[in-house]
Amino acid sequence: MSIDNPILEVRGLLKSIDSGTHRVDILRGISFAVERGQFVAIMGPSGSGKSTLLGLLAGLDTPSAGKVILDGQEIQDLAEDDMAVLRGRKIGFVFQSYQLVPTLTAEENVLLPLDLAGDGFAGAGRARGLLERVGLADRFDHYPVQLSGGEQQRVALARAFVGRPPLILADEPTGNLDSANGKHVLDILVELNRSEGTTLVLVTHNRELAARADRLVTLHDGRIASDEPLV
Amino acid sequence: MTVPFPWKTAFRLAWRDARASPGKFFFIALAVAMGVGALAGVRGFCGAFRTMLLRDARTLMAADLAVREFHMATEEEEAILSSLNERGVESTWVTETVSAMSSEASGRPLLVVVKAVDPGKYPFYGKIELDPPGPLSGALTGDTVIASPDLLFRLGIEIGDEVRLGDETFRVSAVVRVEPDRMTGSFNVGPRVMLSREALDRSGLIRPGSRASQRYLFKLPPEGISIEKAREELRAVFEGAYITDFRETHPTIRRGLDRATNFLSLVSLVALIVGALGVAMAMYSHLQQKLDTIAIFKCIGARSSQVIRIFMVQTIALGLAGSLAGVLFGWLIQVGFPSFLPDYIPVPAGLEWQPVVAVQALAIGVLTTLLFTLPTLLGVREIRPAIVFRRDMEPPGARAKRGTVLRVGLLIVAVLIAVAAWLSESLEVGAWFAGALLVSLLALNFIARLLMRFLKAVPRLLPRKLSPSWRHGVANLHRPGVHANVVLVALGIGVMFTLTVYILQASVVGQLALSAPPDMPNLFMTNITHTDRDGLEEWITQYPGVEGDVDLVPSVAARLVSIDGLPLEQVYDRRRGRTYRATRNLTWQRKMPDFLEVVEGSWWEGTPEEFLVSARESTAKRLGIQVGSELEWMVGSGPVRAKVVALHRAEAIRPGSRFGFILSPNALRDVPTVFYGSARVAPDQAPELQQAAFEKFPSVTIISIADVLRIVQEIVDQIALVIRFVSAFTVLAGIVILASSVIATRLRRVRETAILKTLGATRARVTGIFSVEFLILGLSAGLMGSLLATAFTGLLLEELLDVRFEFDPWPHLAAITGTAVLANLAGWLASFQILGRKPLAVLRGE
Repeated sequence: MSIDNPILEVRGLLKSIDSGTHRVDILRGISFAVERGQFVAIMGPSGSGKSTLLGLLAGLDTPSAGKVILDGQEIQDLAEDDMAVLRGRKIGFVFQSYQLVPTLTAEENVLLPLDLAGDGFAGAGRARGLLERVGLADRFDHYPVQLSGGEQQRVALARAFVGRPPLILADEPTGNLDSANGKHVLDILVELNRSEGTTLVLVTHNRELAARADRLVTLHDGRIASDEPLV
Repeated sequence: MTVPFPWKTAFRLAWRDARASPGKFFFIALAVAMGVGALAGVRGFCGAFRTMLLRDARTLMAADLAVREFHMATEEEEAILSSLNERGVESTWVTETVSAMSSEASGRPLLVVVKAVDPGKYPFYGKIELDPPGPLSGALTGDTVIASPDLLFRLGIEIGDEVRLGDETFRVSAVVRVEPDRMTGSFNVGPRVMLSREALDRSGLIRPGSRASQRYLFKLPPEGISIEKAREELRAVFEGAYITDFRETHPTIRRGLDRATNFLSLVSLVALIVGALGVAMAMYSHLQQKLDTIAIFKCIGARSSQVIRIFMVQTIALGLAGSLAGVLFGWLIQVGFPSFLPDYIPVPAGLEWQPVVAVQALAIGVLTTLLFTLPTLLGVREIRPAIVFRRDMEPPGARAKRGTVLRVGLLIVAVLIAVAAWLSESLEVGAWFAGALLVSLLALNFIARLLMRFLKAVPRLLPRKLSPSWRHGVANLHRPGVHANVVLVALGIGVMFTLTVYILQASVVGQLALSAPPDMPNLFMTNITHTDRDGLEEWITQYPGVEGDVDLVPSVAARLVSIDGLPLEQVYDRRRGRTYRATRNLTWQRKMPDFLEVVEGSWWEGTPEEFLVSARESTAKRLGIQVGSELEWMVGSGPVRAKVVALHRAEAIRPGSRFGFILSPNALRDVPTVFYGSARVAPDQAPELQQAAFEKFPSVTIISIADVLRIVQEIVDQIALVIRFVSAFTVLAGIVILASSVIATRLRRVRETAILKTLGATRARVTGIFSVEFLILGLSAGLMGSLLATAFTGLLLEELLDVRFEFDPWPHLAAITGTAVLANLAGWLASFQILGRKPLAVLRGE
């Protein structure tokens, strides 16, 4: 299966950690490509390397071997700062534990990627618009501690989409939430992904959640166990 | 039912809790160490110095017994000296005075302290060390002098070169490295020369009536005469003289030392309190992080007192560890301290370590630490176990109730007063100190709060486009656990203190430079003989640049013997006042000088035949003299009697204004007289005039205000250097607190850096954000310190010292930028390795 102009492609990705006495291989040769606009779910048991893979895709860590090609550009050898700038433009990230900046308000958190890219001023309207779309129109000025878990994650969603990145990476975005809140967050994520025309790569334990994807990649012990389209 | 909770258990639990976060506690212990170190160092040094004074007392006065007076020995005095000599007491005579000296290399005469000794006998104890090495008797002949190192430097000469002193030329044969009785001499500042008595006589510096100190040193034989006996006999004859023996260990020096110890102890106490504030802050944020743990403790049945006990153990351990490190540090300070001292205090090697001081510093360190942490510890009582369940909603605090804080506050003030009073040996000083400190702390805290509130509003005011780093950096100040307030107060008080000392010093010295008003004399002449008198007066009046008249005032050494026939000793008894130094110089005047005002009686007309006198009002009051009283003096060889016809008051500082008695001209006609004088010369002409006068009238000493100011300035500068050295520890403690607050928030910073990087922030951006944070902290602390220093110095100078306060922006700017730079340095040192971490590892490590 070959994809024309994929948004994301990995080839022969290896990641191992040297813990002094012995080496732990986390990823043992992963290759796949993601079509633009696709919603890919990555599943697998704990320790199968899902989150590590996602981190490598986002350039948050460097692989031991192999290539990561983001929008036609190899990123595995990029310098830290160049990677950060690229990430700011191309990737939105959603964490399991929200990772909002505690000293900034909801609105300021959403604006942060734009601020960092140097166009916070232009984005004020967009940030508010996104916060309204995730249902937090009345919480602009609240600090993270004043928000519930579900609300914090919705702020994080708005933050991920604010810079119109072509690719959203989400790591267990509903893992810390109860099922009602989880479903709510997922609905918003999927809806935003559709309406913004982004590509979504999502790591999860949750079958129900994975079932809503276009494609399901299952990892086992650092290798791709299965890769199938869902209808 | 109460369950026993031994300290041992508390200790075990405290240890388990603390070992999880050693880094956090290390730095804060260091902040305490700064204060304790300064305290132990200062007190240790002074204590050791005292011990040394006691131990080496004989060496420090070069004798067993010394007598000092300001006139030549009278016949009676000579008699007792030879009587003592016959009984085996060795004695030698030291004369000290001030004069001008010049060299070929530098034409400008230099004011020097001249000390004449008998190289065969002096010193009885200790040793004069010379460079090149050799015996004193070899170095001092009739035409040589030995000099202090700074004299060579100032005159631009080397050993072997010639100098001019008085009427003669002398060769400098050696440099004095150690002079044992340096501290007990009469004139202690400025460059010095030592010469033999023969050389002094040749120089023509000393004439009857010259201002010089005569010191007689005695060495008692092992048997035959006791020191009490010798002292008693000398006391009976040397009236009004200053007599000391080695058992007293230098009352003047010791008094000065005690005063310095008290003052510097208080300065150190400020540093210690800053450190204690740091511990309180660290314990507070530690408790905030332990809220859950404490709540769980309470859920499983722990009482507040038990929890408090656990954290109290930690606090005491922190205070103790810091204090122990401080004692060690203090020893280093004690060893290094002498290099900050003026070189006229010779500090011999081998100052002993003072265990008592170490224990005191340790106790004060632990006590202060515990005291300032108390409000935080008591806050434990307010932590509700229920927060375990509803933590997410409201951030709960561990703040003590208002009433508790107030009571603890009062306790802190009380103990602070007690400690300060003990250190300064004065309840009044202690209370003032505690009061001033409290006011400063409150003021700083108030300003810090205002500033923080302002800064909280700032990010919204700044344009979004311009400044994400700035907005984020400012927002970081409100990060939980940063305690920007405490950091600002701690750092601010350090800046305030150091800056205040600096400004005071600069203002006082600056004021001295300005304090010679336009119409006041700025040139003083001493040692003018009858022979020189007329020539000098004429010459100087015609010298270009000299304005107005030249006042020359005669001076005769005399001793007041009786008032209205009543011997002076009985006058003391009757008036029960302080002893009046009977040997004073007298003067005579034909006309009443303009700066005098007669308050009773009337001045004489022309040159009256009978002997009349006008007494200074204050002197007259003290001795019970009235118009009509008959006074009798011993002058040189015979008595002089005069009748009081007037009481006067002097308004200005002029030669003559300090004389207690002014006689009519005939009274002192045939007595050897020395003249003093003053003149006003254009300031830029003064050095030239001094030089020209030195060529023409070598034995006349001309001192310009500038010379005196230079010496005063040197002393003030050196004292201020010592104070600044000690007060710098306050700044250091503040910086350490900043670093420890950064370290306490390290985890959060690491995580936030990872988030920012994930969102596309470069290293430079993250660096920028943190730098802005540290910069703002430093700038704000510097600004606050500078504001308060301005207020303090303004108040002190205008109200207490009556000196005009002039604002000079430079020291303030320097202090503010300096603090900002220091804050950034400390902040980044404490943020070590935060930037380099890979984001994934951090975010997954949650």
